[in-house]
Parts: sequence; structure tokens; C-alpha cells
Amino acid sequence: MEPQPKRRKESMENDDADSWVALPVLSDQQSRDTELVPAFAAPITDKKETSRLIKELHSLYPLAGLPHIKRVRPRGGGDGGGGPHSLEVLVCLVSDAPDVDPRGDSFAIGSLLPSGGGGVRPDGLGPPFLVKVPACPPLTRPQFQVASKHWPTAFHEDKRVTVALRGELFSRPQKARMQGYMEAALEAARAGGGGGGGGGAGAAMVDPKAERIVAVGHDCRGENPLHHAVMVCIDLVARGQGGGAYRFDKYPACTSASPPAGSSSSDPKPAPKTSQTAAESAEEGQPYICTGYDLYVTREPCVMCAMALVHSRIGRVFYGAAAPDGALGTKYKIHTQRDLNHRFEVFKGVLGQQCRDLNGCEDKPVTEH
Amino acid sequence: MGTESEIPGAGLQPVFHPTDEDIEKWMSRAFEMAQDALQNGEVPVGCLLVHGGQVVGQGRNQVNQTRNATRHAEMVALDQLLEWCRHGNVDPHSVCLRTVLYVTVEPCVMCAAALRLLNIPVVVYGCGNERFGGCGSVLDVSSAQLPHTGTAFKCVAGYRAQEAVEMLKAFYKQENPNAPKPKTRKD
Repeated sequence: MEPQPKRRKESMENDDADSWVALPVLSDQQSRDTELVPAFAAPITDKKETSRLIKELHSLYPLAGLPHIKRVRPRGGGDGGGGPHSLEVLVCLVSDAPDVDPRGDSFAIGSLLPSGGGGVRPDGLGPPFLVKVPACPPLTRPQFQVASKHWPTAFHEDKRVTVALRGELFSRPQKARMQGYMEAALEAARAGGGGGGGGGAGAAMVDPKAERIVAVGHDCRGENPLHHAVMVCIDLVARGQGGGAYRFDKYPACTSASPPAGSSSSDPKPAPKTSQTAAESAEEGQPYICTGYDLYVTREPCVMCAMALVHSRIGRVFYGAAAPDGALGTKYKIHTQRDLNHRFEVFKGVLGQQCRDLNGCEDKPVTEH
Repeated sequence: MGTESEIPGAGLQPVFHPTDEDIEKWMSRAFEMAQDALQNGEVPVGCLLVHGGQVVGQGRNQVNQTRNATRHAEMVALDQLLEWCRHGNVDPHSVCLRTVLYVTVEPCVMCAAALRLLNIPVVVYGCGNERFGGCGSVLDVSSAQLPHTGTAFKCVAGYRAQEAVEMLKAFYKQENPNAPKPKTRKD
């Protein structure tokens, strides 16, 4: 039996899929605020000295650990003359000149250089002043825009991330499909009721290549507090592949579909037998746990469910509403954890309002049992 | 002798604690299970849930058998505990509050969260789990501030750790025929 998303009355009103945006849940490095470190810069008063000054300053103060920082920038307006095309050069970090009190209001260039100049001839340099420079290379366009307000940096743009952050990664037809999958998850959540604690969640596992739902599940915590919707869905996928540890027959909204014969190749193949090893299935193009699948879940998964998805080698996760102890963005970002052997993309906000409404009002704490 | 030591005032302590004798006894059992698993080509992890001197759950990894990658030994054992409660018509919550998990390897992030969700107060384990460990190796789920994810638990780590590591090494030297071809790790 193959579950299909059902169109409900309220979803018809939002059929244009303009009511929601799927935003990527990025790593801390990609989403953190721009950290700044104080530094001294100085105007270049004689343009002809520019390349010599850069070379000498770089040799004395190489700014190790800040390879993204550009050494010079066009002069940012202000007084002091110098003309419209004049430049400012980064002399050193405040930490490079421990004897200089950065709270002072005027600095002598000599005080930033070792006695004898340290190989830097200060001709052509104006009076130094304090600036703040970005401590880390910007990884996203928003980070780059903030960083650039302080001091210019190199930026190797990941265009896909930029588009995703604008909420424009998915086309209209893709969004319509995504909405259908999340509606199936919402439908399951409603069918599951509270599931024994709080507003129950629902989940739908999707094979994105075949554009088909392979399993739908909801919280079944009344019977087993660990039967969160995601765990149920993972086991339903296993059952569809000839395995599975549980039976959810008494929950009509928890369903799984067997992989259609020959789904990945032209010649039909028999459904996998339990005795067949997973490696054999993979070689024959049969599904291996949740590899390559997308999970649509109404609520951000908890730590257990998020790590279960790592173990199951999920392809991507889409969730509607954040959860207070959520592990794919709120408390942890398990999908970006460097130490783990599997990482995946996560998007939040698919039918966000409908998913939040599942839990009653947004302020009501979600009980994870 | 049992895990529920009747020390006067024990009820005032936030968690009860297994005695050294308990640890030695139950961990030996866990190691025997792990050894048995290794000899049968399974992930060498042994685990026992002990309540009032009685084993109420024990498990071995069932990932390949069930095609469900979440069927770690701990998850199997926790299901047995719940079944034991259902069978005996006792409240799982009150049982879990006085149950110790003995396991040869640090529980993974998922299992650590599951242990929290069921309010297991103490976990005794052998070696750390650098790949997946949820009690400090990868994440510290055991003690994290997660008010909606059950309760934090106490860990007693390092019992016969070297032995547990050697068993894992022996296992990972053999190739796992069920794993997909590894992709090169991108950074």
C-alpha cells in the first residue's frame, strides 16, 4: 500500500506554496556573527610607496591566521586629505604592538614598529588609527557583507548557499512537491493524535529520484516512549526493505511501501529477501537503509532522532517547526558535526505555520515526553 | 546484594550508585556478550540493564538483521526493559529511575539521548566511542542542558577500557560487508 499525500481543505488555500520558505540550516561557522579583532591601519600619503610599504609591512607583520584579510583598502572618506583614490594599509594587529595603548587618541607610526623600524621605512605612511578587522573568513554572502563593512576580505562564494539563504533554491514545481510531502507528514501527525505526549509529530520518507513517498509515520509514544515519528519512519523504511524491528499495523496512518521492482533499472527485479545482504542490495541498485532519501518531518528532530538519521545515512531533512531541544539547528547541528561520518543538508520552514499550529500555539512548550 | 543499596538517606541522593562489586559482576557479563558477538561477526558490544539485581534488558546489535541502522544493543535492551515492565505490569518510569546500564563501549549520541528520554540515571561503560560517542567523545548528551529530553545521567567510564578497544579493533579489521563503499571525506 502506497501512501499518497491527501489534499486537505486548509492546505488548498496555500496551494501556491508562497506561504512558506525553506531556509537552509547551516553550520555554526556559516551562520555565526562576524567576530572582529582590533588592528592599526594607516593612510598611505604617497601612492608611489604603496607596493614597498605592503611588502615591508607584510614581512614584519605577516598577520598569520588572517589570510582572508586584504592588506589595503580604498580610503573610507573622512578627513586628512589624500585625494579620492588614496589607500589605507593595515599595519598590524593591536596584539602585535603590546606596548601601545589602543585607548589613546593618537598613535605614532614609530611606536608600532620595533626600534630601527624592523625593516619598514615609514615614508609615505600617515598617522595610524584603530580599525576592526574580521577574525574569520566569511563563508556566506551575509557574513561577507557584514565583514566588508569593517575591512575588505577575500570571499570564496558558494553560490548554492547564497541562493538557498535567499530562499530561492527550490523552484515552484519543487516547492509544490515538497508541500505535498509535508502535508502527508501533517496528515499522519493529526491521525496519530497526541501520541501520548504533547503535540504529536508526523514524518514522511521520500525517494526524491522516484518522487514517491516510501513511508509515513507518526509519534507512537504511548506504547514506547522512544517511538518518535522519525524512529517509526526509519523502521517502516526497514520493513519496506524486508527488515524492520516493529509492527505498526494497528496504526493505519503508519505505512510503508515496498520498493517497486526494477525501480532503479530497466529490467524488473524481485523484491529483496530478508536473507539478501544490504551490500548485495546496494550493488543491485536496491535501497540501502535511508541512503539518498529525504525526510519531511513536522517538527525539528530531537537528539535521538537526529543521530538515528545520521546512522541511517539520510539524504536531506526538511522540517516545519523548530523544537526547543531540537538537534538539527536549535540545540545542536548534528548534520554538520565534523566528527561524524555522515553529514547532510537540512532545511526548515516547509509549511512552517501549519507545523507550528500542530502544537497548539507556538509558545506552548513541546514535551518530548 | 543489588544495585539498590539500602544506605540510610540514599533517597536524598540525586542518583544511586552501583557498588564496585556490582560493576565487576555485570561488566564481566557484558564483556562475555561482546566476546560472543565478536566471534559471531557482530559488532562487539555487550550491554545489560540491571534493576534491583536483576537483568531486565540485554541486547546485541541487530542492525543487519533488521535493516534498521538504529538497532544498537542499547536500543534493543531498552525495548526489552519496556517489555519486561509491560509483562510485569509495573510502571516503566519508576523502574528506569533505579536501573543501571552496563555496556562495554560508550553509548552513541542516539543511544545516550534514548537513555535520557527513559530517565536511566547511571551508565557504566568500558571504552570511549570516538566515532559516535554521546557521553563526551563526539557530544556530551549525557550531561547537556536539554530540559525537554528526559534527564541527564551519570557516567562511570573506563572499566576494562583497553580490552573493549581491542575487541572493537579486531572487529573493524574485518571488513563490514554491509557498509556501502566509503566515500572520501570532504572537509
